[in-house]
Amino acid sequence: MINVLLAGVGGQGTVLAAKVLASAAAARGWQVRTAETIGMAQRGGNVTSHVRMGSDGEEVFSPLITPGTADMVIALEPGEAARALPYLASGGVLVTATTAIQPVTAALASVPYRAGDVVAGLADALQGGSFLFVPVDDAALMHELGGASRKSLNMMLLAVAVAQGRVPLTLDEVKSAVEACVKPQFVAMNLEAIDHAVAAYG
Amino acid sequence: MAKKLLMGNEAFAHAALEAGVNVVAGYPGTPSSELVETVAKLHADGAARDVHVEWSTNEKAALEVLAGASYCGARALFTCKQVGLNVASDALMSLNYVGVRGGCVLFVADDPGPISSQTEQDTRRFAAFAKVPVLDPSTPDEGFAMMKAAFDLSERYDTPVIVRPTTRICHASTFFEVEPETHGRPLPEDGFQKNPKWVIFPKRAYEGHGQINRRLARIAWDYDNDPALARFNQVVEGGGEGAPRVGIVTGGVSSAYAREALALIEREAAAADLSVPAWRLLAVGTPYPFPAETAAAFAEGLTDVIVFEELDSVLEEEMLKLAGVRHLSLRVHGKLTGAANDRGENTAEGIAGRLGRFFDRTSGTDGLADLAARTIGANHLSYEGPLPVRPPVLCAGCPHRGSFYAVKQALRGREAVLCGDIGCYTLGNAQPLDAVDTCLCMGAGITMAQGFAVAEPGKKQVAFVGDSTFFASAITGIANAVYNGHDVTFAILDNATTAMTGSQPHPGTGVTLMGERRRPIVIEEVLHGLGVQHIGFANPHSLEGSVAAARAAIDFEGPSAIIFRAPCIQLKKPDAPVVINAEACTGCKKCITAIGCPGIGFDAARRGPKSGERGQAFVDESLCDGCSLCAQVCPFGAIEGAPKAAEEGGAR
Repeated sequence: MINVLLAGVGGQGTVLAAKVLASAAAARGWQVRTAETIGMAQRGGNVTSHVRMGSDGEEVFSPLITPGTADMVIALEPGEAARALPYLASGGVLVTATTAIQPVTAALASVPYRAGDVVAGLADALQGGSFLFVPVDDAALMHELGGASRKSLNMMLLAVAVAQGRVPLTLDEVKSAVEACVKPQFVAMNLEAIDHAVAAYG
Repeated sequence: MAKKLLMGNEAFAHAALEAGVNVVAGYPGTPSSELVETVAKLHADGAARDVHVEWSTNEKAALEVLAGASYCGARALFTCKQVGLNVASDALMSLNYVGVRGGCVLFVADDPGPISSQTEQDTRRFAAFAKVPVLDPSTPDEGFAMMKAAFDLSERYDTPVIVRPTTRICHASTFFEVEPETHGRPLPEDGFQKNPKWVIFPKRAYEGHGQINRRLARIAWDYDNDPALARFNQVVEGGGEGAPRVGIVTGGVSSAYAREALALIEREAAAADLSVPAWRLLAVGTPYPFPAETAAAFAEGLTDVIVFEELDSVLEEEMLKLAGVRHLSLRVHGKLTGAANDRGENTAEGIAGRLGRFFDRTSGTDGLADLAARTIGANHLSYEGPLPVRPPVLCAGCPHRGSFYAVKQALRGREAVLCGDIGCYTLGNAQPLDAVDTCLCMGAGITMAQGFAVAEPGKKQVAFVGDSTFFASAITGIANAVYNGHDVTFAILDNATTAMTGSQPHPGTGVTLMGERRRPIVIEEVLHGLGVQHIGFANPHSLEGSVAAARAAIDFEGPSAIIFRAPCIQLKKPDAPVVINAEACTGCKKCITAIGCPGIGFDAARRGPKSGERGQAFVDESLCDGCSLCAQVCPFGAIEGAPKAAEEGGAR
C-alpha cells in the first residue's frame, strides 16, 4: 500500500496532481482510491487530496489516509505542510514549496505567519529520524522558468517527490500520466517544468 | 468499455444512465450536485441519449416532476442533499402511498461532520419515517451497483427507493468501467393509465398504507435472500483462532474505516506479539427495512457487538431490537452506550482506538487499547508555531461584499436585524462585514425578518437572499410580507448564478441544462407581480449609488426591495488590479478592517511619506479582481482603480 497526501490552498492544483498520481498507479494495474475536501473549504481554504494505491495487490478500503501512514506528503504551501505533518509515516518523504500564501486573516493577526519559520520548524521536526525533508524553493524555480510556470508547481512537486525513490513509481510513469491527464496545450510546459525541478531537487 | 477515474457522484450518474434513466431532476447542494451536472455534460457531449435532465426550482418541484414522469413508466432520478429532502418531503410522503410505475430513485447525499450543511440529519432515519427502502453504499463502487439495483427494486414493488451516500462516498474517486454511450429505456407504449389509485383520498391512503407494509416485509426478505440485494450485506471474519464471540456492525463509509482499522490493529498486534480475538463483521448496505435474518445469522454465537455508523444510531437500534425480539444474550455497544461517536464523522484511527478498548473489555485481551492509542493515527511529529487559519471567505471582487457594506452604511445609527440565508452570502457573517445576524434554512431570512418586524417594530429588518434562493424558496415569503403588510426590506443579491454549489443555472438565467435558452424570469417583474411597491436597483461595485439605493428602500414604509446586480466573479474576466499609491497610503488599514477582501494585505515593512513607520497595504495581484470597492472605501484616495460606476446596476 502506498499513501500520498497532497496539501495546498484552493486554486493551486492539488486535485489535478492527485489525478495524475492515480493514473500512474492505475497504469500499473493497482487498485486506487482518492478523496478530496471540496465544498465550503474551497473558497480560500486548505485543500487536501488523499491518494491510496494497492501496490502489493491488496484491497484498498478507506478513501482517506490514516494519520501516521502517508509515504509521501506533498505540500504546495509550507503552512499546509505543517498542518499535514501528523500524516507522515516513519521513513516518509515530505516535499514542500517554501512560499507562503497569506490568508485574509493574516493582515489582522497579531502573530505574523512567516514561511521561513515554518520551513525551519519542519526541518527541526524531521531531523534525525528516518524521514526525508525536501524544501523546494518554488520562487527560484518560477524565476528560472518564467511566471507562467506557477501553474506547474503541482506537477513539479509531485515529480520531485517521486524522484526521491522512496515509493515504487518512476519519474517516467509520472510523465506519461501527465500526458494522459493534462490538457494537450499544457503538456509540454509541465514536462519542461518537471525536468527542471527534478534536475534541481531530484 | 473505457476505464475512467470518476468521483462517486460522476459514477452514480453513469450508473443511472446505464440503467436507462429517462428523467433526472434535482436542486444543487453539496455533496450531491455533481450527479446532475455529469448527466447534463454527458447529454451535451452526445454520450447520454434519450434523457431529460433539469435543475428544478427546488427539491419539491423536482420530485413532483419525476412523480409525473414515473406514472408514465419513465425511469426517474431525483437528487438533493439531505436537507433538500425536507423540502421535498411533502411530495415523498404521499408518493410512497400512491406508489410509482417507472423506477423512481431518490439520490439523497448526507453530510456527516457536517462539512457544508446546516444539520446532521440521517436520511436512513427519514427513509424509515417515510417507509421507503434505502440503500447505503460503503464505497463509490458499491454505490454504482446500488444505483442500478435501486431502479429494479423500485419497479419490482412500485416503491420509491432512496440511495443515500455520504460526503466521503460522493467525493471519493476510483476507476470505473463505463459504457461509452447510453440510451434512456423506451417508454411503455400504453403510456399513463388513468386509475383512481393515483388520487390520494383518505380511503386510498389507508389502502396504500397496507401496500407499503406488505412490500416492506417482502423487501426485507429480498435484502436477506435475493443475491442482487443480499450482496450489499457482507459478513467477513478475521482475527485469532476459534469461533468469534465478538462482532462489529458497520454502515456506509464506516464499513471501509472499520476494515482499515482492523487491518491496522492486526498488523500492529503481530509486530508487538499481541493476539487479536476472532471477530466477525457485518457491513449493512440495506439499512431499511432492516435485514433481520442476515443480522441474526451474523449474531449467532456472539456475546458482544459494537456498531460503527455515522449520524444516528440506526443500525445500533436495529441490533437492540433484534436482541430483544429473539431473546439473544447479546450486548450491543455503540453511540447509545458511549462506545462510538455520537455525532460527526468517523475515522479509521478513531475506530481502531475504540475497537482496541472493545476487544480488551469483551475478549479479555490485554493491551490492544494501549497499542492502538500508541501506534495508530499518530507519528509524534508536531509544529508548534502559529499556522494561518483559512476560513472560507467571499472571493476578492465578490459583488456581495459591496452589497453588505452598502446596507450597513445605509443603516448607520439605526438599530437593525440582518437576516441571512443559504448561499455564498452566508459568508457575510464573517468579520469585518459582520452583516448576517441569522441563518436558518433556504428562504427563511425573508420570512424571519417579518417575525422580527412584528416582535420588535422599532428596529429595521433587512433580509438578504441570492437569486437562486429567491426562486427556490423566497417567493411565498415575499407574498406573505405583502399580504400581511410587514415593513421589511429584501436585499436580493443577484449574481446571475447559483454560486455556492459551483455556478449552476437557475430560472433567472434563462439557460437550462438541456442547452436551451429562453426568456429569463426577471426578479423585479416577480416582485412587481407580488405587489412590492418599492423596488430599487444598485451595482454593488458602486458604493455611493448602493448606499443611496439601500437607504431609499429601508426608508420606505412597507415591504420594499433592492436588487444588487453584478455577476459572480467566476462568470467574468477579471479587471485590471487596483494599485496602492505608496505616496498616499497612510497605513490606516481602513481598506482591510472595513471590507476584509482577500486581495488586500498589510505589509509592516513598507514605507511611504504618509505612513511613516506604520507600514502600508498591498494588493495581491493574483487575487484582485479589480472591482475597486477598496478604492471607494479608502479615505485618502490612496487606491487607484477604474471605478465601475459606468455600469450602474439597473432593471433587466
